Amino acid sequence: MLVRSAQGLYWMSRYLERARRLCRLLQLQTESLVDRPAREIHFGWSRIYASVNRHPPAGRIELLGSDDYTLADSYTLAGDLTFERSNPDSVWSCFDQGRENARQIRQSISTPMWTQLNLAYLRLQELEMPDIWAISPESFYADTVAQIDTFEGVAAATMYRGEGWRFMQLGRFIERAQLLAAVLLAQLTAEQQVEEASDADWTGLLRLCHAVEVYNRRYSVAVQPRQVLDLLVTDPRLPDSLGRSIDRAAEEIDAIGPGPDPDSTGALQRLAGRIGSVIHYQWPDHEDRHALLDQVRAHCYELHDRVEAGYFDYAIEDAPLR
Amino acid sequence: MDFDTYELDPRVYDEMLLSDGTPREHCRPLHEALRRMSSEELSGVQERATRSFSHEGISFTVYGEAEAQERIIPIDCLPRLLSSADWRLIESGLTQRLTALNRFLDDVYNEARIVADGVIPTDLIRGCPQFRIDMRGFSPPHGVWVAVCGTDIVRTNDGFLVLEDNLRVPSGVSYMIANRKVIKAGLRRIYRAARVREVEHYGRLLQATLRELAPAGRSDPCIALLTPGVFNSAFYEHMFLAGEIGAELVEGRDLVVNDGFVYMRTTAGLRRVDVIYRRIDDDFLDPLVFRPDSLLGVPGLLHACRRGNVSVVNAPGTGVADDKSVYAFVPDMIRYYLSEDPILANVETHLCRRPEGLEYTLDNLENLVVKRVGESGGYGMLVGPHATPAERAAYAEQVRANPSDFIAQPTLALSRAPCLIEGRFEPRHVDLRPFVLRGRRTRMVPGAFCRVALRRGSLVVNSSQGGGGKDLWVLND
Repeated sequence: MLVRSAQGLYWMSRYLERARRLCRLLQLQTESLVDRPAREIHFGWSRIYASVNRHPPAGRIELLGSDDYTLADSYTLAGDLTFERSNPDSVWSCFDQGRENARQIRQSISTPMWTQLNLAYLRLQELEMPDIWAISPESFYADTVAQIDTFEGVAAATMYRGEGWRFMQLGRFIERAQLLAAVLLAQLTAEQQVEEASDADWTGLLRLCHAVEVYNRRYSVAVQPRQVLDLLVTDPRLPDSLGRSIDRAAEEIDAIGPGPDPDSTGALQRLAGRIGSVIHYQWPDHEDRHALLDQVRAHCYELHDRVEAGYFDYAIEDAPLR
Repeated sequence: MDFDTYELDPRVYDEMLLSDGTPREHCRPLHEALRRMSSEELSGVQERATRSFSHEGISFTVYGEAEAQERIIPIDCLPRLLSSADWRLIESGLTQRLTALNRFLDDVYNEARIVADGVIPTDLIRGCPQFRIDMRGFSPPHGVWVAVCGTDIVRTNDGFLVLEDNLRVPSGVSYMIANRKVIKAGLRRIYRAARVREVEHYGRLLQATLRELAPAGRSDPCIALLTPGVFNSAFYEHMFLAGEIGAELVEGRDLVVNDGFVYMRTTAGLRRVDVIYRRIDDDFLDPLVFRPDSLLGVPGLLHACRRGNVSVVNAPGTGVADDKSVYAFVPDMIRYYLSEDPILANVETHLCRRPEGLEYTLDNLENLVVKRVGESGGYGMLVGPHATPAERAAYAEQVRANPSDFIAQPTLALSRAPCLIEGRFEPRHVDLRPFVLRGRRTRMVPGAFCRVALRRGSLVVNSSQGGGGKDLWVLND
């Protein structure tokens, strides 16, 4: 398939996954505004900013005693992460980029996929912060997640399972793995900086990954950070787990097969396998999980670089002619 | 809804009504059906059509504003009807015209007999910026220089006239198909009863045409559609057509020339391309030959094309035949190459490069439409009767400074068709752009992109200048 089309599908998918994950974080965060103490709200914002690797508009987030301040701050922070055009990682920007990539390679996706994505995009164009804040910001984020999920459902139902589909899935799972690793690291780092960790912060992560029920069944209702981490990192049946994202990415790389330079795509395959083995075989017995998670995240970034080098940015002089 | 307040002007041909207000024979059923519909019903059709364009992202890009903007071509929900007799005339006229134009191109880049025989002045050809000296001695497969042409036709009380031959990268065919799709859905019963001829198979005809033009020996050619990219005003169309003909949609940066062959960059290496349906202008096609600053093109493409290793459609250099000055000679070409009389007439055209043409133009500026030879899309023209004296004077200065850049034509009373404007039927000026395909033979779908000047009284139908579209129905006998 044309390199530019493969690249467009890959990035479309990554941006939509990024928008989805951020909406999910913001959904949980705005829900917490209703009934959680200021400390937890503050912790939540810090974790989100750390996980998207961005500084809040005022430089840092103040923990203030007054509820009014906390809520006003929350409005500003949510606005920065949702509609801020100059923030390349805001929901708006991710959607815009996702849709723009789709527009450029529209002939490579099905018409219902395009229509669904375009409708979701047009809806977002018509909204602004006051609109979503007035009644229920959490339902705005939930709706946006649902729009992206619908897009993926439509894709699953209508898209030809060729190479394009593979690159879309690959983008999605690489993005998902990177994001989850970042959120988990943000949690571990933020936790070191506060005096007492709260169960709610860990429960929030379970909710983020739709893992509360399975956690309660497997372990107990009492939340143990280590068990939360194990579940979110290693469970191969949890759609959002790190292990599953890596396994799925590896499957897609196998299915796409060798690129123009088999050495380069071979290295990509081996790297995906290596990350998987770290998660499945090293993780359970390893003591320093923070360090291991750091390593996994670095590997996930490298995975992307190798996809680029193997399939997209190869040297034309060495490429085989067909 | 009734036509009681609908304005008729005997000087202007109305596409639906005769001067006494009764419908033309072939428009009778539509007229009757429209009268039975309420204003709300029709507005609903209109609104759904517009919404569906927006949802599907059927848009074009407008330049010249702070940033290029994605816009929707406004659609009017009332179809324009053409009788089968009218269509037969257009079809045979355009086939004749394109045959002559292809003969002309083959001649002018090879023996140039038409110049030697004094039918067309040498300096007109040599002075034309679209004449590509690098294409001399080239002969494309089957002598087809122009495989896709979109001719602008207008109707006056005197009949159909050809306004422009668009022989380079004509666009609009996707809107013809998109308009048909939404109007058909909005006026289901009327459409069925009207026995309208289909246009949706355009993609099949285009694919067949392009395959016939592949280099010899390439029985299963790889076709690519070359677009300038997502910022081009017609990007939607490029994307749409690539899907319809099963071609890869490529940009210049996706292609490389190696040893005189063209390849595209795929995830598995380089794949040979046989036919390039290019939707970018000659100027940007190959920076080695044409504009060196072009980032859109493919270095070495022209060389590959000249060697016959790839077919570039339309061939580079076709612009010389749709130059606004050369246009004036098309009827002579038809007589010269085909020994036939033109079936479709030209609009009377005054060449300012000729002293008598310049004098006439300057003396009659208030009655004329003056156009720049090199421009298209409705840019850089003066509509004399609608311009202020100051605008005319300023324009006259430009004409005097570079007479050969301008031509003048009478302001035509373009025909009008009823449109739904604020819940009422009102007449608006229209033209039509049918698309002619030429491979081993000529192919056409019975239909056209019908453009309408939605601003009251306006004669400018270009999409970039506030024009809209209409579905055009060619009726069965």
